[in-house]
Amino acid sequence: MGTISLEHSDCLYWLGRYTERVFTTLKALQETYDNMLDKNIGYEEYLGYFDLPDNYDNSGEFLRSFLFDKGNFSSVAYSLERAYDNGIVLREDISTEAFSFLQVAKDTLKNAENAKNTRFALLPLEDVLYGFWGCIADNIYDEEIKNIIYCGKSTERLDLYLRMKYPYDEVNKEFERLCIRLHRVPKNTPYRYNTKFLSDLVEIIGEENEYDLNSGKAVSSLERLFESA
Amino acid sequence: MKEITTPDFTEAIGNANEINELLRRYGVKFGIYKNGEFREQFFPFDPIPRVIDAEQFADIEKGLIQRVDALNSFLYDIYHDKKIVRDGIIPEDFIYISSGYLAQCEGITPKNKIYSHISGIDLVQGKDGEWYILEDNLRIPSGASYPLIARELTRIASPDAFRKNNIVDNRNYADLLRETMEYVNCGGVRAILTPGRYNAAYFEHSYLAEHTGSILVRSDELFVENNILWHKTYSGEKTRIGVLYRRISDEYLDPLTFLPESLIGIPNLMEAYRSGNVGIINAPGNGVADDKGIYYFVPKMIKYYLGEEPILKNAPTYLPFYEDDRKYVIDNLSRLVIKDVAEAGGYGVVFGSDLTAEKLGDLKDMILSQPRRFIAQEVIDFLDLPILDEGETVMRKADLRAFVLSGETTRVWASGLTRFSRNPDSFVVNSSQGGGFKDTWVRSL
Amino acid sequence: MKRIDFYFSTKLTFDDYVHEHSFALRVIPPETRTQHIVNCELSISPITAVNQTVDAFGNNVTAGYIKGDHRFLDFEIRGTAETYCSRHNTDYMPCYLYQSHFTKPSDELKALYEQAAAVLQTENVSDKVAHFSEVLSNNFTYQKNVTTAHTTAAEAFAAGAGVCQDFSHIMLSLLRMDGIPCRYIAGLAFCDGETHAWVEYFEDGCWKGFDPANNCPVNEDYLVLSQGRDFDDCAIDRGVMFGSYTRQLQLVRSVMKAG
Repeated sequence: MGTISLEHSDCLYWLGRYTERVFTTLKALQETYDNMLDKNIGYEEYLGYFDLPDNYDNSGEFLRSFLFDKGNFSSVAYSLERAYDNGIVLREDISTEAFSFLQVAKDTLKNAENAKNTRFALLPLEDVLYGFWGCIADNIYDEEIKNIIYCGKSTERLDLYLRMKYPYDEVNKEFERLCIRLHRVPKNTPYRYNTKFLSDLVEIIGEENEYDLNSGKAVSSLERLFESA
Repeated sequence: MKEITTPDFTEAIGNANEINELLRRYGVKFGIYKNGEFREQFFPFDPIPRVIDAEQFADIEKGLIQRVDALNSFLYDIYHDKKIVRDGIIPEDFIYISSGYLAQCEGITPKNKIYSHISGIDLVQGKDGEWYILEDNLRIPSGASYPLIARELTRIASPDAFRKNNIVDNRNYADLLRETMEYVNCGGVRAILTPGRYNAAYFEHSYLAEHTGSILVRSDELFVENNILWHKTYSGEKTRIGVLYRRISDEYLDPLTFLPESLIGIPNLMEAYRSGNVGIINAPGNGVADDKGIYYFVPKMIKYYLGEEPILKNAPTYLPFYEDDRKYVIDNLSRLVIKDVAEAGGYGVVFGSDLTAEKLGDLKDMILSQPRRFIAQEVIDFLDLPILDEGETVMRKADLRAFVLSGETTRVWASGLTRFSRNPDSFVVNSSQGGGFKDTWVRSL
Repeated sequence: MKRIDFYFSTKLTFDDYVHEHSFALRVIPPETRTQHIVNCELSISPITAVNQTVDAFGNNVTAGYIKGDHRFLDFEIRGTAETYCSRHNTDYMPCYLYQSHFTKPSDELKALYEQAAAVLQTENVSDKVAHFSEVLSNNFTYQKNVTTAHTTAAEAFAAGAGVCQDFSHIMLSLLRMDGIPCRYIAGLAFCDGETHAWVEYFEDGCWKGFDPANNCPVNEDYLVLSQGRDFDDCAIDRGVMFGSYTRQLQLVRSVMKAG
């Protein structure tokens, strides 16, 4: 096609990142919630991963903020708004159908806020997000467009896995997936990888020992992965 | 042939909430500004459709084609020979004091001589059953996307009604639009130019781009080089645009030809257009033909250019500029609608019946001293349409915006945007004033 | 007939790099009945491809686009023309009868017109033009740096002083109030080191020139570069560019001499 503008390529990338951030954050919070059943607090570890201060009186307040507070930049609700903002300008690229899932996701999250059992009420949100990704896979014929979204998605997931110190195998699998996508990005386009930072990542994530020692460096190399050389 | 009966709407009414829910889901919104804040609002949908019978629609269709053809001839004439002025059909003043007349467009001949590719003609049906033209919109008429997406949903909601009533499928609008764009394509991709997501009609821009297979662009993604319009791509290459369906108004279109301070325009677009390297939909300068002052002359244009009697009527209109009309207007001011030709939008419209004796006197003086500035119209007794209001069916004012597309031939979309007012006393059916819309069913024989 | 050599240059300098610079120039004098352009060369720096069109008012438009970073745009024309005072142009447009953006009269301008019209002794258009110009020069002073390129006739008249552009706009406003079709002319004149502005009015089917700033009819010492309803249609150069520049400096020079 060759008619992707600079602005659209950014929106596609960030649509992928924010939608993935919603999903992985949601998963991680559910696990934290599960932890909290057996402990008094149980969320300090989660805050620690992201160097966030503990401003919460109790675990309920923590959860409400990280799920529903649009003013909290680390919340599911905030990420979902940003995903929607990027999606709204991409209707003709991603299809009305795919975009509609973001509206449904917003509505589902809002409903969960007032539900008696939050976790049950959040289950359909995962379905909606899977629906969104299904739509992206199915409705977009332009592989270049699709790949930019997937690069955003993989980058985000890898970033969160690294920060939350996910087991090596999972991180490595996700990194391999990202590499396949990165190699599909045409040269001279904004999401073409920077060779130096990619080789840094290969070095660190390629070896389990390295990963255990240097995951912090991996996060910063990932941040600079698309810097122009 | 299926029997023509009044359709049964119970089914549709029962599914009203589901339809509105789906419209929400698909992002059918329009944006509004209030106190400097941008908000997106859902455009409320009323489940009871407006139904127009086949024979009646055939008349409307003929009348609209005739009208739009005459308007296109008029626009070509005004920007070239000006025969209609020279022959004394329209006084010169009405053309050149109109803010829609753009001298910069003199002598430009758009591809295939089409000026108004997409015309939104607003009509109302009077209690006498007669349809009247209220207004021609030949610049950037919006609204086609709403009934287009709503029809998908009403067909789900009311299968029985569609089975029984021979309703013409209106889901061909995107095809009509694409053909219209292609007919004036000067070689390149199709693009829809939007001012951005904070524009009131952004939903429509993006929806029509998706469904016509056009790229949706903002002006900062475009540039003119060698008198050709290009789209900048993210790889630093450029793609040629052959036809631009622009959704920004004339004065902002090209800062090197029109308003220099425009930030949403494309510099030298008019040079590319004048050179025949890009089609612009609708043509710049069309405002001279949908001016309130020019409206009066449209029936005369039809006779002048086509040699035909107008099929659709204007609302009875008087021009105080003419002595006979002036006398009539002054004598009947208290029951007429007065429109200020110089003012845009709904602001310069006054109902004589709303004015105190003193205000009426002031208005008379103004009309006598500046007769060219005003037109006066009889108040049409609208045929009200049923709408659903908190479970009750109530009658409200409604109009119909018909969409006429001019390409190789002139075609009327067998549907339209029916807008209604929520307020029982209001004649204003504007969406920004809290009104809603309905599906418009045209029945085939 | 008079043969003249003309030269005109503009140097536009920015205090920081600009890019994606679109411009439209109206500097190549049009070939008309009153002026034959024997030759005319346009040079633009930085060197860039340009396209020529003719706009609605009959002006030569040179359009260009400079993509990369640059800090200046210079252009100059150099050529020879023959001017003919005995001939007249007839390219009429009805819009010239109507007030335009720069010429819309204020109450003060309307009063000036009423006052001037009240003592009019003639129906002859050329005599009326001379009379309005006389009234104008008695009520308006030539002075630089009072007005800008964006000042309207009404604003300039309120300020009491201005340059040839302002004289011309006020003159157009007065003539149009009197129902005389007239247009704005941007061009070069012997008396000036920059560009000059004057007006043309339509009488007996042809255009005649008058220079309100000098309160005299136009002769063969004037070369037309562009014409239109007012300054907006005639701007010698218009441009749009991107960059973080804060100021731009424009130096203009023109030379006319008998050839």
